[in-house]
Amino acid sequence: MEIKINDSEGAKIIALSGDIDMYTSPEVRKQLLRLIAQKVPVIIVDLTDVAYIDSSGIATFVEGLKGMMQYRGRLKFFGMPERVKEIFNFSKLDRVFDMYGSMEDALKS
Amino acid sequence: MKDEVIITVPSHPKYLSLVRAVTVTMGVQNELDEGVIEHMEHAVDEACSNVIKHAYGGDPGKQIGITLKVTPEAFEVVIEDSGLKADVARIKGRGLDDIKPGGLGVHLIKRACDVVEFDEKKTEGNRLRLVKYLKVKHGNKDKRQ
Repeated sequence: MEIKINDSEGAKIIALSGDIDMYTSPEVRKQLLRLIAQKVPVIIVDLTDVAYIDSSGIATFVEGLKGMMQYRGRLKFFGMPERVKEIFNFSKLDRVFDMYGSMEDALKS
Repeated sequence: MKDEVIITVPSHPKYLSLVRAVTVTMGVQNELDEGVIEHMEHAVDEACSNVIKHAYGGDPGKQIGITLKVTPEAFEVVIEDSGLKADVARIKGRGLDDIKPGGLGVHLIKRACDVVEFDEKKTEGNRLRLVKYLKVKHGNKDKRQ
């Protein structure tokens, strides 16, 4: 698992790669909650290179979403591979997360 | 035909990727449907995560035994630990409409498997049996792969 954080047009972009599971999700959670503690208004998660996500990864993003809702921040996703999207859909989280096809779409929405 | 693979891994989350790789390889080597393999990969991962978290309370120094078996009828995985007994009556996931962290793993296990059962005869630790049927058995079309 690799985590890269960059700035783009006022948003923080978190690019993840590899598997998100019980071993790697604590680091994702730590980085996400650090940005949320700073009340970053827009966080965009790039999942293009994520091969696998388990329930702990999903829980991490749900926690992040709830944290951002408290200050009206926005948590967005793009580049979700079919395998990962299928888990979001199964969890019924596709209804509550903002999911986009590209970073440009996520930035301009 | 009955192919069986038995592995033992430490109860450290870093070995979950190994467990997933073995599960996928077992399915691929036996030419199982891709959807079955992916679902079983999730089920085994979630079950082993539960062992680490609940049975062993996060202790990475314990052992998890995993037996993977493919027959013409089924893909079966048995996961054993020597930790705290699971309170089967209390195991339930969150309602899928209830958006909150946690509680999804049980659903991922149940959707993958036709059988999810703890061996009640095991006196110490847990033995969880996960079975996905691969063919129609005695006219039960619901069990088709």
